[in-house]
Amino acid sequence: MSGLRRIPWALVLVVAALFVPALGSRFYTFVATDVAILALFAVSLNLLLGYTGLVSFGHAAYFGIGAYATGILMKKAGIPFLLAFPAAGVLAGLFALVFGFFCVRLTKIYFAMLTLAFAQIVWAICFKWNDVTGGEQGMPEIPYPDLAWMERLPLAGQLRTSDHFYLLTVVLVAACLWVLRRIVGSPFGRILTTIRENPERAEFIGVNVRRFELIAFVIAGAFAGLAGGLFGIFNRGVFPDFVYWSKSSEVLIMTILGGIGYFYGPAVGALVLLVLNQQITSYTQYWPFILGTILIVLLFAFPSGIVGALDAAARRLARPRRA
Amino acid sequence: MQRRTVLIAILALLLLVPPAADAQKPIKVGFPMPLSGPAALYGDPALKGAQLFVEEINAKGGVLGRKIELLARDSKANADEAVRVSRELILKENVDFLVGTLTSAEGPAVSVVAKENKVVFIAPIPKTDQLTAPDKLHPYIFRVAATTTMEGRSIAEIVAKWNVKRIATISFDYAYGQDVTRAFVEHIKRIKPGVEIVDQQWPKLGEADYTPFINAQMAKKPDAVFSSIWGGHFLTFSKQAKPLGYFDAIKYNLIGAGEIASPEATKAMGAEYPVGVWGNSYDAFYWQDAPPAHRDYTARLSKFLKDDAPSSWSIQTYMAMQFLVEAIKKAGSTDSDKVAKALLGLTVDTPHGKLTIRAKDHQANRGQLYGQTARDPKYPFAIMKPMTYVDPTKFMD
Amino acid sequence: MPDLAFLFGQSLSGLTAAMFLFLVASGLSLIFGVLGVLNFAHGSFYMLGAYTTYQIVQWLGRDPGSFWWAALGAAVSIAILGGLIERFLFRHLYGADVLYQLLFTYALVLILSDAAKVLWGTGQLSVSRPPGLTGAFKLWGTFIPYYNLFVLLLGPTIALLFWLLLTRTRNGRLIRAAALDREMLGALGVNVDRLYTGVFVVGSFLAGLGGALIAPVKAVVPGMDVEIIVEAFIVVVIGGLGSFWGTMLGALVYGQVLAFGILIFPRFSIFSVFALMAVVLILRPWGLLGRPLKS
Repeated sequence: MSGLRRIPWALVLVVAALFVPALGSRFYTFVATDVAILALFAVSLNLLLGYTGLVSFGHAAYFGIGAYATGILMKKAGIPFLLAFPAAGVLAGLFALVFGFFCVRLTKIYFAMLTLAFAQIVWAICFKWNDVTGGEQGMPEIPYPDLAWMERLPLAGQLRTSDHFYLLTVVLVAACLWVLRRIVGSPFGRILTTIRENPERAEFIGVNVRRFELIAFVIAGAFAGLAGGLFGIFNRGVFPDFVYWSKSSEVLIMTILGGIGYFYGPAVGALVLLVLNQQITSYTQYWPFILGTILIVLLFAFPSGIVGALDAAARRLARPRRA
Repeated sequence: MQRRTVLIAILALLLLVPPAADAQKPIKVGFPMPLSGPAALYGDPALKGAQLFVEEINAKGGVLGRKIELLARDSKANADEAVRVSRELILKENVDFLVGTLTSAEGPAVSVVAKENKVVFIAPIPKTDQLTAPDKLHPYIFRVAATTTMEGRSIAEIVAKWNVKRIATISFDYAYGQDVTRAFVEHIKRIKPGVEIVDQQWPKLGEADYTPFINAQMAKKPDAVFSSIWGGHFLTFSKQAKPLGYFDAIKYNLIGAGEIASPEATKAMGAEYPVGVWGNSYDAFYWQDAPPAHRDYTARLSKFLKDDAPSSWSIQTYMAMQFLVEAIKKAGSTDSDKVAKALLGLTVDTPHGKLTIRAKDHQANRGQLYGQTARDPKYPFAIMKPMTYVDPTKFMD
Repeated sequence: MPDLAFLFGQSLSGLTAAMFLFLVASGLSLIFGVLGVLNFAHGSFYMLGAYTTYQIVQWLGRDPGSFWWAALGAAVSIAILGGLIERFLFRHLYGADVLYQLLFTYALVLILSDAAKVLWGTGQLSVSRPPGLTGAFKLWGTFIPYYNLFVLLLGPTIALLFWLLLTRTRNGRLIRAAALDREMLGALGVNVDRLYTGVFVVGSFLAGLGGALIAPVKAVVPGMDVEIIVEAFIVVVIGGLGSFWGTMLGALVYGQVLAFGILIFPRFSIFSVFALMAVVLILRPWGLLGRPLKS
């Protein structure tokens, strides 16, 4: 048992993920890119949901802002990805700072509703501002980053552009997740957990609850923005739907489905939801009905999410061995 | 125990691999179309039209000796989702062609996917000029829908014959509404210089309460109105406008883009329809002077849908599939580049007569039926009477 | 400067919209006040109310009173549906995190929207105004449809009945007490379970009624569930969650902002209501008439 624990599983997973294009199926690369990006999006939301105890109904705003930032910079201004990608995080973080400043003054459902209001305002701007965002038709044809240098890498030379972009995505998402992991494991992360458990007590021991909530909000927003920056390129276009509240609810479902009590829970949620969607929509158009049923079954059967259930199962298996 | 079973079931679903390709491979056509939410109103009958065609062609042995398989996916009337399902259709199901999409956001978004993957894409319904604009055009995109320019100008041609001066417009504030309204306004000013645009209202897409807009418009006292409040929205609009005396105030001089005179629109509204307004439709099962093929098509569609008054939307996807199959025949291959070449300048004998996809902009000269709505003792709902097919060939450029 | 008749017409249309919203939002607010959960499925109940009304009108045929029977039948059916969902599903989630309760109601939205699609298809359906209320009359230069007048009168009537129910009956007092302190109520020996089911039934009844009454002025189409739920959320949040008169005030403000917003910023009606919600929440974090939530 302890031997297994010493293996750096996250690293193994990243390395394994890098070999997906080697399977030779463009579809697997496509799904894997989708999963990787949305996993980052969901994990960023969980910094608020699971770690700080803040329910955001408007997380898609920052995802969308990031997508538009990278998209506009790369398509209209011809700025390279190297600058356009961090710009997504910075801009989304700035917006999160402004919106978050007002949101963290509110509690519970009112907090959620204000995040929703801001997100919908952002959506309306994206929907309307034809000259900059392309309005309702969005901005198709975001260029891929220049990844020609990857052709000189060993093993990666024969791959397609979308495979190269996938490799880049895996590395960037892994780096982002590593940073997020460090953040939640730091003293700062523990303060967030304290705030979630009991805001009054946190205040009592001298924590400026609002300031910490705001910092968490900005970090979550910035990482959502980075995810958005990647997604716009992956999706071959940026559209106002990225910001719409249904996108916020989608990521909320992924996060809860995977398990908000676990760092990688939301990532697993993203994986399961996307793959299920792929499989089920091939057979029926009643995907909403099936998704709804899955959610209800899950709520009653595994209230702590998929990872929670796996964790419990693993513990049960481990127990007799120790005895 | 129970939990573990469910967990295993979920994992089992996850491990399902894409269905394996069989030996006698059918030609696969991906069909992204809104099948849920408000837009399913059109997406659903649109799917049926394509299904009817596929059933017929397969019964005749298919094309090039191969059957056609239609793979429909719900695009949720959402560009983001349309892109996702289209790429999934290409990458996972290896579809040979794409036919579909409905909104003006979905069409151009999927067009980019078609271009990158070199897959022929025929758009049966999106009207936005952007789709085939010179800077967006690429070898694989084709359209059998009317464009906003064609629709706006067709209506201007009709209104030019009316004895009216003060014209108002009401349209949704998004690409389709803006474009079709602009096309109408520009064309009417050109062909009838005396008219004055006295008011323009821009409710948001899917507005629930039009009363404030109706009041504001009536205050400007127009004597004719151009509307592009489409489909189900027009039902809500006219339900609210009628008791306010809106239609009486403009003497029913309202002409609507967006298929408000389609049989399904007048049927759904029944007694509530503001009979006397003008509108258009892609098809009408009661079309008297139609080309002979139309009667036959209507009978088959009617049987397929089990509906005496079948939908007007099915024709669009039926035609799109016809063009695709004719092009495959002409090319003698399912190779995308060859089929794309074959589509250029291709003329097909559709249920509405001969239509041609122009080589220069990949756009079919697809007109629509226009007319004033009237009651008819034969039907429990309003029909267009008289009704004319406006051929847009003269003013497509 | 637009003339007065026009301004009167605008404000009246805003008022009518407010009454429709109030009907739906009051049920939402009631359920939140007592159960502490925002019921996403409230919009689905509203949609099913509209579809059921259509269905019953079809069954009854040309009977002149068909609309009224249909509206009543729809509201009652939706109330029963709401009660069943509470009794057999939702009840088991009371101990769980609010997040899971939200997720549950969202799952219901997905399931019910597909169920409506299976039952009624994707076409647009229409319900006619009841005979006698089809026309309009002219007042101060403005046409007022009789049906709108009916809704304008019905809204306050229901508000008043509701308020009497809450303040003058034992159950009403229990509901208000439950909104303040659930545990205490249980400790005092009140059958809290039955109370909750009752609240869900009443809330769903109002949603169903709202859907039934909107059917004559709006196309009955898929997607009307999510459309209304966002609006209803805004109304209850502006007014203050769980506050009865707050919901009324929120609906009134919402209606007027919509009606006059298009005059001041004609092409920004897409923003106005969300901007309104943001401004209200920034200035008054618990809504106009709400009170701070217990932590």
